[in-house]
Formats: sequence, C-alpha cells, structure tokens
Amino acid sequence: MRSLILLLFLTSGLVSLAQGSFTISGYVKDAATGETLIGANVYAKETMTGTTTNTYGYYVLNLPAGTYTVVMSYVGFEETSQTVDLSADVKLNIDARTKAIATKEFEVVGEKVDNTESTQMGTVDIDVQKLSTLPALLGEVDILKTIQYLPGVKSNGEGNSGFYVRGGGPDQNLILLDNATVYNASHLFGFFSVFNADAVKNIELIKGGMPANYGGRTSSVLDITMKDGNDKGFHGQGGIGLISSRLTLEGPIVKDKSSFIVSGRRTYIDVLAKPFMNPEGAFAGSGYYFYDLNAKANYRLSDKDRFFLSGYFGRDVFELKGSEPGSPDFRIPWGNATFSGRWNHVFGPKLFLNTTAIFSDYQFSFKGGQDDFSFGLSSGIKDYGLKLDFNQYPSVRHSLKYGVNYTYHIYTPSTVDVASGDTEFQIDTPSKLKAHEAAAYIQDDYDVTDLLRVNAGVRLSYFAHVGDFKEYILDEGGNTSGIRNYSPGETIKAYYGLEPRLSMRYTTGPSSSVKASFNRNLQYVHLASFSSIGLPTDVWIPSGKNVKPQVAYQYAAGYFRDLWDRKYEASVEVYYKDMFNQIEYREGAQPQDGGNTNYDALLVFGKGWSYGAEFFLKRRLGKFTGWAGYTWSKTMRRFDAIDNGDPFPSRWDRRHDISLVVGYELNERWSFGSTFVYSTGQATTLPVQRYFIEGRVVSQFSERNGFRMAPYHRLDFAATLKNKPTKEVKDKTTGEVTTIQRKYRSSWTFSVYNAYNRANPYFYYFTTEGTSANNDLRPVAKQVSLFSILPSVTWNFHF
Amino acid sequence: MKRAHFLLMLPVVALLVGCEKEITVELPETPEQFVVEGVIEPGLPPYVILTRTQSYFDPIDQNALANSYVRGALVTVDNGDGPVVLDQLCSTSLTDEQRALFAEVTGIDPALLSSVDICVYSTANTAIFGEVGRTYRLRVEAEGKVLTSVTKINNPVALDSVWFQLALQRPDDDSLGYAWGTLTDPDTTGNCYRWMARRISRDEDGNVEDPTFISPLGNTFEDKYVNGLTFDFSFIRGRQFYSDQPEDSNEEAGFYKVGDTIAVKFVSIGFNEHEFYTSYDENVGSQGDLFGTPVNARSNIEGGLGIWAGWGVYADTIICQ
Repeated sequence: MRSLILLLFLTSGLVSLAQGSFTISGYVKDAATGETLIGANVYAKETMTGTTTNTYGYYVLNLPAGTYTVVMSYVGFEETSQTVDLSADVKLNIDARTKAIATKEFEVVGEKVDNTESTQMGTVDIDVQKLSTLPALLGEVDILKTIQYLPGVKSNGEGNSGFYVRGGGPDQNLILLDNATVYNASHLFGFFSVFNADAVKNIELIKGGMPANYGGRTSSVLDITMKDGNDKGFHGQGGIGLISSRLTLEGPIVKDKSSFIVSGRRTYIDVLAKPFMNPEGAFAGSGYYFYDLNAKANYRLSDKDRFFLSGYFGRDVFELKGSEPGSPDFRIPWGNATFSGRWNHVFGPKLFLNTTAIFSDYQFSFKGGQDDFSFGLSSGIKDYGLKLDFNQYPSVRHSLKYGVNYTYHIYTPSTVDVASGDTEFQIDTPSKLKAHEAAAYIQDDYDVTDLLRVNAGVRLSYFAHVGDFKEYILDEGGNTSGIRNYSPGETIKAYYGLEPRLSMRYTTGPSSSVKASFNRNLQYVHLASFSSIGLPTDVWIPSGKNVKPQVAYQYAAGYFRDLWDRKYEASVEVYYKDMFNQIEYREGAQPQDGGNTNYDALLVFGKGWSYGAEFFLKRRLGKFTGWAGYTWSKTMRRFDAIDNGDPFPSRWDRRHDISLVVGYELNERWSFGSTFVYSTGQATTLPVQRYFIEGRVVSQFSERNGFRMAPYHRLDFAATLKNKPTKEVKDKTTGEVTTIQRKYRSSWTFSVYNAYNRANPYFYYFTTEGTSANNDLRPVAKQVSLFSILPSVTWNFHF
Repeated sequence: MKRAHFLLMLPVVALLVGCEKEITVELPETPEQFVVEGVIEPGLPPYVILTRTQSYFDPIDQNALANSYVRGALVTVDNGDGPVVLDQLCSTSLTDEQRALFAEVTGIDPALLSSVDICVYSTANTAIFGEVGRTYRLRVEAEGKVLTSVTKINNPVALDSVWFQLALQRPDDDSLGYAWGTLTDPDTTGNCYRWMARRISRDEDGNVEDPTFISPLGNTFEDKYVNGLTFDFSFIRGRQFYSDQPEDSNEEAGFYKVGDTIAVKFVSIGFNEHEFYTSYDENVGSQGDLFGTPVNARSNIEGGLGIWAGWGVYADTIICQ
C-alpha cells in the first residue's frame, strides 16, 4: 500500500512540473491504409526535442509557447514537416506517405530509428514486410524463427519456433498478441509459430531492461500488434505455399472511421496426402493439420475515443486411425484462442488511457486407445483479465506510464484417464487451479539532462492461489495420508513483491551512447516439460503452496553507436542474470506418475544463472541490408535433487552463437535474402557406462547435460520475383500509351533451407548392434538429423 | 501398462523424416562401480550375480563379458537367523543340466554359459531358501568395497485367470495373439507387480522355445490407479535380448501363437523394487527414444548399482488355442 501512495505522490509531483507549456498531440497514420504507425519520430526542429508514437500511434510534444516546425520521420515514409503556432494546445494528426518505390536506395520500411536515443536496451523491432523476402523452412514465413537470428536469442532446436532469451526458459517469454497472452506459440510440435505474418503490423522484442508496464515473465517480452485493417479501401493478400495457404482481407466498415481485417491460414498436408493413401490401408483416415484465424475490427468514435476488438483462434489436430483391429488410434487437438477488446481514450492532450479486456485460452487434449485400452490426457489454461494503462506526458522531459491490471487464471493441470475394457482406472480428476494475479506499476522516462535519460519504474505484483482445491496431505514417503478441501475463494497461498526496473542512457557523442539497466522480475507461472524438446504436453504450473514464484535479477550494460551516416547501427551489450525458484520434473518422472497426488508432487526446485556478451551490427539502408550478430554466453542451473546438487549447463546453454542475415534488392522485381547460423552444440545427457541386468544392457548416464552435440550450422537462400509494379495502358480513342501502377501485385519466393545439406544433430542416442550369440555385439552412438536440403516455393499476392 | 506413453510418442515420431548416422563420441573416464543382480524366491536359494560397470564403448565380446564378473567376493544373506555365506559357482565348471538350471534361474543365455565363465553366488543351504513374508539382508564385500541392501518376499497375488486371445491384426488371422490376465488387486494400496513369461513348448529341434523367462516392456506396475479393482490386462511376447530366432524379426514378433504353451510368473514386489524395475525398463526401453529423458535405473543397493529383490511368485500356465 505504501508503494501505491508513493506512486500517486510521484505522479502528482510530475504533473505539476508541466505548468506553463503547451502541447502538440495527435496520431501518426499511414495515409494509404489508415494504419497507425508505431514508434514514428515526431520532433520540433527548432529545439530538437522530440518523442515517438506509442503502440496506438499517439504522440505528445510539450513545448513552451512559440512557432515550431514539427517534423515526422519514419523509415520508408516521406518526412513531413508542418509549422505550428503554439499559443494553446494543438491537435495535429499526421498522415505519412510511403516513399516512391523508384528511389535509388532501398530502405527497410517501418522501423524505429532510436538505436542510440532511447533508454531501452536489448530491444529490437522486426520489420514484418521484410520477413517475406528471407528464406523460410518450407516457405512458411515465421516471426518466431526470425527473432532467433538476433543476438541473445537462441533456438529451441532444428526448425523449432521455441526460443530462449538470455538464458531464460521458454516459459519466461511474455508473448502478447494485441495485449493478450499467448501460452503456446507453436504449431506442429514447434516447427511453425502461430503468428500469421500477413496479419501482423509490428513486432517488438525486449530482451533486457523490461519496462515496468510489462510483467509476469522474467526473461523477455515479445509484443505483437495486429494490423488494424485498411480504413480507406478494400484490399486483400494471400499466398499459396507447399504446406499451407493464407488469405487476408481488410477494408473499411465506415470509411476513415472504422475498419476490419480477417486473416486465415490452413495447412493441407492431410488433404494432399489423402489421394495417395490407400483407403483400406493401415492408417487410412489419419492426418495432421493446423489452422489459424486472426480477426480485428476498430471503430474511431472521435479523436478522443477508439475501440478495437481482436481475436485469434488456432488449432492443431493430429489423428491416427488404424483401420485394423488391434492397431492404435488417437486424436490430439490443441491450440490457443485469445480475445481482446480495447478502448483508447484521450483525456486531454497529455493523458492517454488504454483499457483492455482480455480472454486467453490454451487447451491440449489427447485421446487414444488400442484394443480395449484407452488413454486420455488433457491440460490447459484460461485467463480473464482487465488492464488499465495510462500514458502521461506532463512535460517535455517526462513521459509517464502507469496502470493496474488484474487476471483471473484457471489452470487445468495434467488430467489423466485410463480404462481397460469396462474397468475405469481410479484416477482422480485433479482440482483446477484458480488464481488471482494483479499488478500496479509506474514508470517515468525522464530526460535528466540533455545527455542523460533515465527510465525508472516499479511494479508491485500479487498472486494468490485460491480454492476450491483438493490438497493431498502427503507423508514423508510421498503417500497420501489425508485430503484437505479448500472452499471456493479461500486463499491457499499468496505471494507479492516489488519489481524495481531501471534503465538509463548517457549520450557520449552525436551518434553514440552508453546504456545500463537493472531489473527484478517476478513470474508466478512455470512450464514443466517431460521431453527434451518443447511439446504441447508441457504443462503450465502456477505458483502455490510449494511452488514459489520465479524471481530473476538482470544487470546489463551496453555501448550503442550509429555508423556511416546512420546507415549502420552497432551495439555491444553485456548482461548477468540470476534466476531463482526454477523448476524441473524430478529425475525419471513420467506423465502418468502425476495422478492421485498434488499437481506439484513431481517437481524439484533449483536456481539458474546466465551471463554473456552480445555484438550486433546492422545495415539499415542501401541495396544491401541485414545484420550480423554474435553472442558469447553461459547458462547454468543447480538443483539439489539433480546430480547431487552440482551445477550443470542448461539445455539452452550455447557458448557461441553467430547469425548473419542479408537482404539484397537487385531491382524492383528481384530481391534476394540469405541467412546463416552457427551455434555451439546443444548440451545433452549421454550414457558413460553400461552394465547388464537380466541379460539386457543398462545405461549409466553422465551428469546432466554433460555432453555437447556437434555444432549447428546452416545456410539458407531465398529469391523473390515480383511482377512489374506498373503496366502500360493504351487509350482506345487517342491511342496514347500511359504507364499506371498495378493494383494487383504478385510474387514468387523460391527458397532453399540448409543449402549445403549439413546433417545437423537433432539428438544423439546410444544403442547396441549385433547379438551376443554371434559374438558381434557392439555399442554404437547414433546421430539423428531432421532436415536435409529442402527447396520450396511460395506464391504471394496482394491487391 | 506403459502403452500410454508409447501412444504419446507415436505422432511425433511419425513426423520425423530425418536421417541417422553413426558417430564417434569421446567419453570421459568414470570410476567403475559394482553391480548386483540378486533375487530370492520362495522355496529357492538366493542368487547374486556381481559384475562391474564398463565404459560404454568398451567391446562387448565374450572376453569382456567374462572379465566383467567379480570373482572372490564375500556374499552373505541374512534372514534374521544369522548370515549365510553364498558359494561362488562358475558356469564352465558345471554340468549341462546344472547350466540349464543356472540359465533358467538367472535369465542368462545358456549358450553363453558354456562358452564364457560366468559366476554366480548361491547356496544349497536350505536354511536361507526364500520364504514368503521374510526380510533378507544382503552384504557383498569385494576388492575393498562393501555393498548392502535389504528386501522382502511379499505375499504372492494370484491372477483370477490367464488366457490367450487372438490379436486379429488381420481380420482373417487365426493364429497370433497376446497373453491376457485378470487381476483382482487386494484392497490395500502399495501392491506392486511384475509380469514375466516364457514359452515352454518345444521348437522343431525339440528345444524349449524360450530358455528363460522374459519381461516384455512395461512389465512392472503398481496399484496406484487400480487399487482393489478387478481388471483385464494383456502383454505382448517379450524378446530375449540375445535372440536370433526368426519369430523375433518376422511378422510373428511380439505375438504368441496357437500351439504355444506359456509359463507365466506374476510376481509381487515391494515399492523400492518397483522403482528399480520401472526405471530399468524405462532405461532399457528408451534407448534411441528422443522423448525419453535419461533415466538411470534407481538402485536399491547401498554402495553400488543394481537390484536385490524378493519375488512373491504366482505361477500359471497358458495353452494357446
């Protein structure tokens, strides 16, 4: 409570600083589509003071009375400038026009230019439009795989969209789609992400120095904003690829006031495979598919009020149907649904409020059987939330954010049911886990001097596991000795904590700065995994009586510099991170062990730490664009119950990680992209000794993750051929030939994955070959690789 | 009972279109440990096989195998009436008949027993033969190391019935099937079981088809979810580790067939023994399995690896028809 009072006190103090100046405020929009632009720079030329637009394209400039030239700049758009006579608050909405296509130099479109300016460290914006020209596995453009090319971000494995940031686990990434949490961001067991790039406007990844307005995760934020939809005219885009097709339609509902966008994607491996499957064959009727549907609508009531509704729905379905008696058959559907309704309200030029109502749902289920034996497994998580986020611009030196949020979580822990014939096995349905999560935060981005800017904030978070709940009272041997029932709403365990966040930038020259940050983050949910790769069977486990919240401290510092006329930006960052209350399943635990006991009975607890250095060089302008990143890092864990408490490398510990991403725009029709990655081999646990029991070879494993697989490296290429942007039209009466812009554009993208056909290790295993009867028995080590060289072609269009 | 886990893995395995190659892995030197494989059953003498671990890529030829047996150990078993020292019996100095018995009891390939000198510690002293309900302490001293363990022979639980049932992999198939059993689990929690079976019918050459009992994958289970219930279960035909029999690699693999006679051992074991056998099964069965997290067999031996187990045996026979 004391902190809340402190917050209010701080706020009132800052507001009073603002007296005596006027404001210029408004939205920056793309003139062609009506989409608001996120992160556009708006500044007064005379004072060289400026700001950037927020997630909703809104900006506020505080200036003393006078006449100013207000300039808007945004890469890929024409710079605008307007003269404003400031003697009262001024409303200035800016329409930005895209640069003519035939400019000499190709530029990255729609990207922030604040490498050295902002206090933010470890923050990267991804240019969505650029993604389609980069090589992709089977031609499926993938946001999550593209961010894996950034320093400090590591892939979960070959072709996998799961990612790890600065030594944090996959559960420590806060993935937001229009403010709603996405719990499982992948399809097809991790090979594709759930984000359909056609429907996405902006992607921001925060690796370190997480601002106080984000919370609930300890490693990173991936904030994805969906397109609002074109409010000027009806347009569409889509594509046909090897494994899926996409279609997006957008247009005005009421011109200039309201628009919608609907985007869908479905894979058709199952449809394509069907004609080739013998209808009487062993597994006729089996199939796999996934689909996504994104939809969003917005309505602008006035310049002060705007409403958004956005939703995502995606499902994976895997079915295996044996046509013969005795063969197994099963069905596994899983997927996410998210929904968010938002209301932007501008109270006055200096105060902006966004209210969000959120619903998020992730469900996994498995139904299978063989003969008389049937087996079911399900888990899930449901969130209902409300957020109030204020942006306040009390003076030109301060930019405040504060707000409160609340989420009601319902977790379904792994629920198993098994039957053999008519006999139902006695497996209790575990209680759903219900929890309240709430937070209040305040942060100020403050220009202390012209050279020093500080972003200081604090977040107070609270989490309570509440009834109804059935707790198994366990004796020392882990056997149930009793049951305690909690009544609905009864608090079983509550946690709260302060999360201070601090980052600062000190300008060291016209195009260079040093930055430093510190943060403490709390996370009240954990992801527990039985497998060594991310699977939909992984279960989200909330904090409770025995499971303490994850706590992370991160310290980071960096040097940032723009080079050669800002054509290049470069940075070096170092970080150290401590992570407490990490979880793992105890050694040898199996999913079926979790029945008839507490949801946390199979868990063990420990700590982790990670440190590293990240080097990044990016070319933003010119025919050649792209970046090079190198990361040196070390990530360790220590659990009392694993390896006698000895530290061991985390599964996502990679000493060296290199990525190169290059784009080349040859002309208005041809463009090329290439990526190269190299990383130290993944840590894995292998047998070191063996012995015989009952005539069989038993493996004795090394300490956890005691081995390194061979390094991973891969080169991919892509070439994109667009149709001509213009066409010649002959006037029938005059015979005059004029050149006009085509309304309908299409392109072919040809890509090659793993161009030099490297057999990258996916996993190692040891086995024996031969028989002792023939006396040719020998132990062998095997490497399994997933993807050899894989060419693909995708056809895209938009109109 | 482990089939659930299998089903879960199948879809992903089906999707993996990868390739596989043999590689060389450098392993660190790790100190060797002693491994106990010891069993005591009602009415039978205890036996203990004492071996040492080997580096994973050491050759597994017969010499290496012979060298892995620890000889000259002092092995004692105590049922509360005082320790009884077990004798060292080595296979090459036994008669063919004794060797066959040796193979049957220990599960070791009889052919191997005559070519490699394999040693076991046992005794003819009937005072230490297994009795239901008694606790047995094991102590092993060898090369300066001491290993100890304790186990109990639990009450055997009889199966209500056992039978053979066609699997009908093909609708017209009238030959191949699985072994089935009906168990009524006693109304107390904590019962743990192990299923093992062998075909005792003779092959064309007149030999017993399975010289030893075999535990198929998933052979060990507990009554956590089935306490007090009566239910049916089935098991496939397990495969001898050293098998080169054609029916283990053709379409008959995993099936019993009409005409077989199957001896069934349904064994009651304690919780620690259950922990060992399930993790052992997981360890052996998950070799080559991407989703199997590495599991060391959870030993009940202090100072070493392996198992010292009392088996409460219920025996039955199935005639496949």
